[in-house]
Amino acid sequence: MLAVEFSNVCKKFGNFSANENISFGIKKNSVHCVLGENGAGKSTLMKILFGMHIPDSGSIKIFDEEVKFSSPHDAIAKKIGMVHQHFMLIDDFTVAENVILGNELTKGIEIDFKSVNKTLGELIKKYNLNIDPHRKISRLSISEQQKVEILKLLYRESEILIFDEPTAVLSPVEVAEFFNVIEEFRANGKTIILITHKLNEVKQISDKVSILRRGKLVHEEENVNNSMDIRTLSSAITGNATLSETMEKAGVQENNVIVEMTDIKLKRENVKILNGLNLTLMSGEIYGLCGVEGNGQNEIIDIIAGFENNYEGGYKNESENISLVPDDRIRKGMISEYTIGENIFLKNGKTNFISQSTLENISKEIIKNYDVRVSDTNSNLGSLSGGNQQKVIIARELEPGNELLIFSHPTRGVDINATLFIHSKIIEERNKGKSILLISSDLDELAGLSDRLGVLYNGKIVKTIDSQELKNGFLKAGDITSNDALNVPLYEQIGKLMIGITN
Amino acid sequence: MSRKAKINLISISLSLAATLIIITLLLLLINKNPIEIFSIIFSEVFASGYGIGQTLFKATPLIICGCGLAICFHASLFNIGAEGQLNAGSFVIAIIALQIQDLPFPLILLICIVCGFVISGVFGLIPAYIKVKKDVSEVITTIMLNFIILALINYFLVDFFAVKSTMRTQELNDNNMLFKLSEFIPFFKGSSLNASFILAIIISVISYVFIYKTKFGYRIRAIGFNETASKYIGLKTNKIILISFFTGAGITSLVGINFIFGYKGFYEAGFSNNIGFTAIAVALLAKNNPLGIIFSALLFAILDYGGLSINQLVPKEIMLVVQGIIILSILSIDKLVTQYFERRGAV
Repeated sequence: MLAVEFSNVCKKFGNFSANENISFGIKKNSVHCVLGENGAGKSTLMKILFGMHIPDSGSIKIFDEEVKFSSPHDAIAKKIGMVHQHFMLIDDFTVAENVILGNELTKGIEIDFKSVNKTLGELIKKYNLNIDPHRKISRLSISEQQKVEILKLLYRESEILIFDEPTAVLSPVEVAEFFNVIEEFRANGKTIILITHKLNEVKQISDKVSILRRGKLVHEEENVNNSMDIRTLSSAITGNATLSETMEKAGVQENNVIVEMTDIKLKRENVKILNGLNLTLMSGEIYGLCGVEGNGQNEIIDIIAGFENNYEGGYKNESENISLVPDDRIRKGMISEYTIGENIFLKNGKTNFISQSTLENISKEIIKNYDVRVSDTNSNLGSLSGGNQQKVIIARELEPGNELLIFSHPTRGVDINATLFIHSKIIEERNKGKSILLISSDLDELAGLSDRLGVLYNGKIVKTIDSQELKNGFLKAGDITSNDALNVPLYEQIGKLMIGITN
Repeated sequence: MSRKAKINLISISLSLAATLIIITLLLLLINKNPIEIFSIIFSEVFASGYGIGQTLFKATPLIICGCGLAICFHASLFNIGAEGQLNAGSFVIAIIALQIQDLPFPLILLICIVCGFVISGVFGLIPAYIKVKKDVSEVITTIMLNFIILALINYFLVDFFAVKSTMRTQELNDNNMLFKLSEFIPFFKGSSLNASFILAIIISVISYVFIYKTKFGYRIRAIGFNETASKYIGLKTNKIILISFFTGAGITSLVGINFIFGYKGFYEAGFSNNIGFTAIAVALLAKNNPLGIIFSALLFAILDYGGLSINQLVPKEIMLVVQGIIILSILSIDKLVTQYFERRGAV
């Protein structure tokens, strides 16, 4: 039985075809992955399924019944639920309050928290979610917040669950835990739709994949006994087969210390965040930092960027200016309302006055040099796809030629082509002798790029892996499509260190 | 940019149309003939050079104050304290001008402009500093500072500077006044329109260039759009906020030039008649574009001056209702129009 059936779904925005005659079915009781680059149309299709967009033509059937949604409200009524990439939670409410919001169970005029808590308790136990309904959202980690979103869908008895890049923000251990929950859903007869960029996860969890490219369905494949070939998938996604090209790293001249942090301690609101951190960044190297989010990454950035001065311990920085590519590009990385040129001028402008034509020329130059794909030179940065936005941010930060570069999750939510481009830029800067701090939750990325790799746990570097060990322990540099990445013993070891297991 | 301008133009026109409809209904409701009332306003404002001159004269302080506020608003600082800021500056302008009456007039003007600017600017700097240091909303601090400033001025005025049994300072000599435009353009004969109007236009053009064409302007607007990102991009956000609030508040002081040097020759308590608040609406209506502010200030001046002419038929306060409706419809229709275009056009 098909849970969802798309027939000839079309959606245009202006002249741009986001979805063109898309037809495929999603089996009930399966995990179905929808893959594609940024801008390939997968988000649009999911938004159509969730009632946020109305298709221009074509039809959708849910459990063999044709539906026409005009808002998410209609989709929810048909037992469809969606976990967005950016969570929709109210920080000051508890887990339970968030879950019932919009679906409050009342007894007289009061909310009947007694039966709510009972229902939630049952759901948490059934699906092994391991979360306390009485805690406030603001005190939960990202992965716990994700569980709240999942709980919300379960509470509404959703049968079809859509996840938009659910693992982008999770550490390897959390990803494994998340997949257990997904397996549990499948075992309980639910239908799961995953949007993701991580192909080895697709191979591990999916029953079937559908790949979109430029708004069209280009490839479908069943994953019988995890037999899928990741290379086939990635060439279907990008439309070309040459993906494993890697950049050669030049020999390192590790003589200049650029940043030195010794025994740094930092408290925020009486919570110890950094607990005796030791970190040295050299010129001509990429220092990778891995760790579960919230173990001090942001505070390290804040100290180096000069936003935070209330720390104890020794800190030396030889670089006058730094370039910073922050983790959350929409919130921290760019002015969405500005054009490409305006975003560049904002930081790097050398003149005090600027004309429209000069701004346009800046835009054109960046578009050319950084392979930004855009239909209109003067469009706002906010209207570009994530990968192109990230390229512009990286252009802005690389242009001044600073000695010290920080990349925080530089390829989060970015498609394969843009990821490769960004990786090549990072290596290029390293080969120029720049000192680079790379913070990421993607172990493949860290392994492929880093010269040294530090594992951060509880505000401290608990282990530093040097370049020789990295070479032996990991696969070829930059090979993000490797089939066996998850089976490397060093990954397991790092994964354990990240959650504080040291044996 | 041009697409944005088109969207702005559509939403402003729609709002004005909506206002006209609502006002027509309102007039019908209180049993007045809307056509009669609109035609009185129209003939009073546009039929004579005097009427046009008076309207431009009333628009002058709104343009000046609106431009000052626009700079604050672009930095996402909701300055409600213009009323206090402009009074502080104007008061000081009058006091200083009286002390240095014997200097050449251009020098008097220059000294007064600088001093007024600094005083108003400092009163803008106080709430900005509290916001930057302690994250206290500038909405509250600026509105509270209004009361403090106005009370202080009253104290100084009554106890030290006022002409006996009045609430105004002494008068400047006649040769220390700005020229009336009617001296050169007889068309405006009898109206109070003076050289300050030219000053207002210059301020508007300079503000426009400052906001949209300079690096500093780009930084101010960037902070208004996204302060967090601006910080991560490496801008000194606190410094920029302080400077833009100082500049914006400073500009409001120049309202005093119009009243003191161009009109009465003295400072008088209550002269501003809520210009500082009306200018908020003026700036909002123009979407904080200083060139647009010239036109929105003209609209409000027409309402103000036209209101006087219909006072026998309907209370002139109806024009306040009109102003309120304009603001409400701008704010609500703008969202609708933007959403409509986003849904239709964006990728």
